[in-house]
Amino acid sequence: MRVLLAALVLVLGAGPAIAQETGFAVRQTDVKKEPYSDAETVGTLAEKSQVKVLARQGGWAQIDSGTLAGWVRMLSIRMNSGQSGFASGLKSLFSVARTGSSGTTVTTGVRGLDKEQIQNAKPNPEELKKLAGFAASRGEAEKFAAGNPQLNNQKIDYLPQP
Amino acid sequence: MRRMLPLTIALALAAASGAASAQFNLNLNRVFDTGKNILDATKDVNEKQEAEIGRDYAALLVGAAPLLANAEVQRYVNRVGRWVALHTERPDLNWQFGVLDSDNINAFATPGGYVLITKGLLARLRNEAELAGVLAHETAHVVKKHHLNAMKKGKGIEAGANVVSMYLEQQGQRSAAAKEKLLGGMKEIMLRGLDKDDEFEADRMGVVIAARAGYDPFGLPSVLQMLQSLNPKDSELALMFATHPDPGSRLDALDKAAGSRLDRFASQPQAAERYASAIQGK
Repeated sequence: MRVLLAALVLVLGAGPAIAQETGFAVRQTDVKKEPYSDAETVGTLAEKSQVKVLARQGGWAQIDSGTLAGWVRMLSIRMNSGQSGFASGLKSLFSVARTGSSGTTVTTGVRGLDKEQIQNAKPNPEELKKLAGFAASRGEAEKFAAGNPQLNNQKIDYLPQP
Repeated sequence: MRRMLPLTIALALAAASGAASAQFNLNLNRVFDTGKNILDATKDVNEKQEAEIGRDYAALLVGAAPLLANAEVQRYVNRVGRWVALHTERPDLNWQFGVLDSDNINAFATPGGYVLITKGLLARLRNEAELAGVLAHETAHVVKKHHLNAMKKGKGIEAGANVVSMYLEQQGQRSAAAKEKLLGGMKEIMLRGLDKDDEFEADRMGVVIAARAGYDPFGLPSVLQMLQSLNPKDSELALMFATHPDPGSRLDALDKAAGSRLDRFASQPQAAERYASAIQGK
């Protein structure tokens, strides 16, 4: 009983503290001490190694495999699916009505974006007028980009088809 | 099951189009009379017609799910979206962005510059660079006219090619049947999605457009990782997963295409704080 209780405390206590998503390496990849390609290499993660993904910075993901901790290229990591604990977004701030950890939503209205709802959808020109009222002009967008943080134009070609 | 769907829809459309076919044949004759053929007629969708089709398409989307009743959030998404769109090859389209009041996790584009994102997706994003990545992916669909092409092709349905030309032929005095057929074509694309290659192309363009706009280009791949981590059986994901390649193959494709090309832009802003304060409590 005491063991069970202790286990419960551990599980409950660990939950909301840090969002710990898990993933795996799609290929053998260097683990760096810091999120830069010229940072010190602290080890090599084998293909298919399971890792906790702790954070992301630019193109880098901070991982912990149990034996290795550091930064790897984020595109060398794929996530495990079905993680209900993905909590690092802002979803709570929206007070989205949800039930259960699987994310099943109670839908009360007939409108929505499910298959049948789309099949039955009717155009709504009134709503479209509202949409037009929110549009931003070029000048407004440029002013926004000059804010904090400032967004600077860059020149870069599209990626070639591999 | 997905493979079965086109046939099922084709059969349903064929059955439903009986009444409209007589009228269509008339239009077909008119097209030939004026010395054009159907393919040319559908190729020459001008910007005004594109906007018109896109507006009807968008009216259907906001008919399915209403706009989020929050002007501040709507304006914020429009500023980010318009800034992103300024870094495409069609900066001066009549770009309009919107947030749909739906817990579904998805984003949509329609011809002419309409881009809609659901509240459900917005609520799961962690910063503005992720939002920019999603919006950039959608603007790429508009720039490359992926939806128009899908409608013209009818995705394998012969009648599909006729939908656009019939609609354009009847400019000004469009019949109810023509409108009905066009809406049917739009719903079909909403439910079946675009070609997989168009989605991969929009991903490749999306990361670059976000980088051009001064954002950390890894926002979009980061969103794809988030999607990959969710439960694919979640009902909120059903439509997006049915209409897009799975996030894992999209990441694989981006990984291959990007190599180290995006690395020098990785330290550009993610604007997490601005995102949080724009969305917080809304």
